[in-house]
Amino acid sequence: MGFGKYLAYRLFNAALILFFVVLLTSTLFVKLADVTLQSQIQETVQAEWNAYAQHHPGGHVNQSEFIKQRTEYWTDYYGLNKPYRTRVWQTTIKTLTFNFGQTRQTLFGTRDTTQIIKIALPRTILLFTTAQIIVILIGILLGVKSAQNPGSTVDRTISVLAMVTASLPMWWFGMIMILIFAFKLGWFPVNSFPDPTLTGLAHIKDVMWRMVLPVTTIVTVLFGGWAWTTRNIMIGTMQEDFIMAARAKGVPERKVIYGHALRAAAPPIVTMTIFSLLGSLGGAIITEAVFNWPGMGRLYWIALQQNETTLIVGLTYIFTLLYLTAMILADLTYAFLDPRVKVGASASM
Amino acid sequence: MRWVDMKDSLKNFWNDFRREKSGMFGLFLLILLLFTALAAPLLTSPDIPQKWKTYWLENPQNAPPAWSNYFSSTTKAPHVIYTYHDLHITKSKDQFGDTVYSFEIPYKYNYQVPVKDIVIFKLASNASSPLDAPHISIALRRPVQDGYSRVVPLLDETVSSNATIQLSTNTQVRRNVLNWLKQNKVQVDPTLEFQLLATMDTMKFLFSQIQPNIQNMMDNPKPLHGTYTLLVNVTAKPGISVDFSNVEIVFMGRTYGIMGTDDRGRDIWTGLIWGSRVSLTIGIAVAVLSVLIGIFYGVTSAYLGGWKDEFLQRINEFVASIPTLPILILLGVYFGGHIMLWQLVLLLVAFGWVGIAKVARSMALQIKEQTYVEAARALGAGTGRIVFKHMVPQLLPYAFAQIALGVPGAILAEASLSFLGLGDPSKITWGQMLNEAQRAGAAVNGYWWEVIPPGLAITLVGLTFVLIGVALDKVLNPRLRRM
Repeated sequence: MGFGKYLAYRLFNAALILFFVVLLTSTLFVKLADVTLQSQIQETVQAEWNAYAQHHPGGHVNQSEFIKQRTEYWTDYYGLNKPYRTRVWQTTIKTLTFNFGQTRQTLFGTRDTTQIIKIALPRTILLFTTAQIIVILIGILLGVKSAQNPGSTVDRTISVLAMVTASLPMWWFGMIMILIFAFKLGWFPVNSFPDPTLTGLAHIKDVMWRMVLPVTTIVTVLFGGWAWTTRNIMIGTMQEDFIMAARAKGVPERKVIYGHALRAAAPPIVTMTIFSLLGSLGGAIITEAVFNWPGMGRLYWIALQQNETTLIVGLTYIFTLLYLTAMILADLTYAFLDPRVKVGASASM
Repeated sequence: MRWVDMKDSLKNFWNDFRREKSGMFGLFLLILLLFTALAAPLLTSPDIPQKWKTYWLENPQNAPPAWSNYFSSTTKAPHVIYTYHDLHITKSKDQFGDTVYSFEIPYKYNYQVPVKDIVIFKLASNASSPLDAPHISIALRRPVQDGYSRVVPLLDETVSSNATIQLSTNTQVRRNVLNWLKQNKVQVDPTLEFQLLATMDTMKFLFSQIQPNIQNMMDNPKPLHGTYTLLVNVTAKPGISVDFSNVEIVFMGRTYGIMGTDDRGRDIWTGLIWGSRVSLTIGIAVAVLSVLIGIFYGVTSAYLGGWKDEFLQRINEFVASIPTLPILILLGVYFGGHIMLWQLVLLLVAFGWVGIAKVARSMALQIKEQTYVEAARALGAGTGRIVFKHMVPQLLPYAFAQIALGVPGAILAEASLSFLGLGDPSKITWGQMLNEAQRAGAAVNGYWWEVIPPGLAITLVGLTFVLIGVALDKVLNPRLRRM
């Protein structure tokens, strides 16, 4: 299988998965939406009747007749009289084309779900992608450092740190940071939501100021794991024969590490980088909620609290899309960077 | 494998494992955690799970742990409860033939900030009409100041059965305390007096030294240290009996127990102990099930080979491409906002087996080529026998390490869902405790005892299994030993 064919195959696979996930969400949510819509229709019709009765006192329209008529109208309007299958299918198609519908309450100044997500996404990129880049830089640097001297103090510290941070919830660490630096010491604001009255340079300064705590949280929790993984990959590479050969040739140690070893270890590291950079676009749902940062994660929180079903469907779709893109990109880069990986090798096994 | 061989290899394994210091530490933590989880009803009390969803009225709200006094310049009075066994009730008759039950509670006070309130719970009587209800009179004898000890009358009223008597906010108590202050020549401004009747922190006055001006006592109270005595008399008409067996006299503390209380007055320490059950159950169940399924799936796939292998791998890829947390949230909302514990276990297993299946498959592909598998096939062994008897046991070392390493992920997933409010409402979990802390604004208000302990507990359980897993990996998969 050539590269182009492999790409086509992966894309088809991803599209299939995306379709199934959306179908699943639609199947679940058409059912949920039914309940909300029914009660909504009941309320609307009751309100209509009240208005009607006020404007036509002594009118000879029968109340039950009126209510029945209007209920039928609205049921038809929302398509509730169509069969379940048809509605699931319609919702699936609508979701796939980014047509998520309206939320019940206004969020970020609009009720259009697509618009809301469009507003939230750049904010998440600003926070999480910044943090992720810092994490990757520190992680690789420290990982290489500790791979140079396995068993040294740096190495041991990183191992312990990686183990501890792997088992603690990032959002909890965020709460601790708020407790210490916002409440106790008062150095940073509790709420990361930027001040809307500021513009220009003051706004940028304000946003940066409010980003310090969340970024520190993310970096602290994630860099240990990165350093540890990099270290393990590097140690594996450092035991290869070509490193010994390079050393025997008299290549300076610095060059052996950064020129030979790191280059050979690059494929998995680059894959990890792509994955976590694209993964960071989804934000960390709970961490954003803890810091009240108005991004994608915060949207999830709001959607759950206020039961905004359209928003949940939209977010799930976007998350899945990002996740699949990351997977394809990572796979392709790996295949591209590492000539040892023969595309589709498993097929001939 | 024969029993002797098994015993021998277990012994070897133990000898190797014993040398891993961090692994032994992990094992020690695991034993401690298992003990806590199993002994939870004995360590606290068996009715905690039912009680957890209610308000704990007999406890103060948002009180820090008692030991926080050691780190603070202003010491706060801890929570004290007196029950029937602490009271020495004397019974006598007065001149009207009524029965008088009386008891005294000595209370040693040497803190800066007094208790919030003194509350009497569950004073029961068999009086059927309000006219027959027993009469209670409460007074407080203070320690010596300026040469003599003063007695402050607090309350004098009839009580219906099982009523809760709160002294701090009672208007009669407030009026009595103000009158007593005035008798002791404390100047009270009439407008201030009116205000105080509605808002005064009664305990602050009762437990501090008398100063000539009430304003000074409010702004700059000087605690009066020493032994106080609460004097209680309950008078009951003939034929009416008073039941003290369930009575609780609570000095509502400003600090509470080992870990303090949350905004509903619940004891955080008991929550921590009970939360270990859910955490361990979820973690171990999910890890064991997903590793077992993953291993069997991978081995079967490798053994079958050809298009069957290809097909099984496509399913694996499909499941691996589904982002877990968003889908779990979605399902949580679909299930009506709550995922039951067993549902969560199944869902986490449904997403958790894929990575292990991939590795198990590649390992099994190597084992498949071994001559003994070929020999077994030649002897006519079926697929099931070869997979279960000859291939899976080879992967067990890897499986054990993976089980331990898979636990933290499952625990974090449960905690995250609980934190989002999608957890099992019938269980006490650390994630839910953090969710409630977040909703009550604990971090923003500085209630550290509500935020730090549950998260630390999550981290501790996760760390326990990571330590064991890494050590197991080192011992059982020797190719890693050189690292």
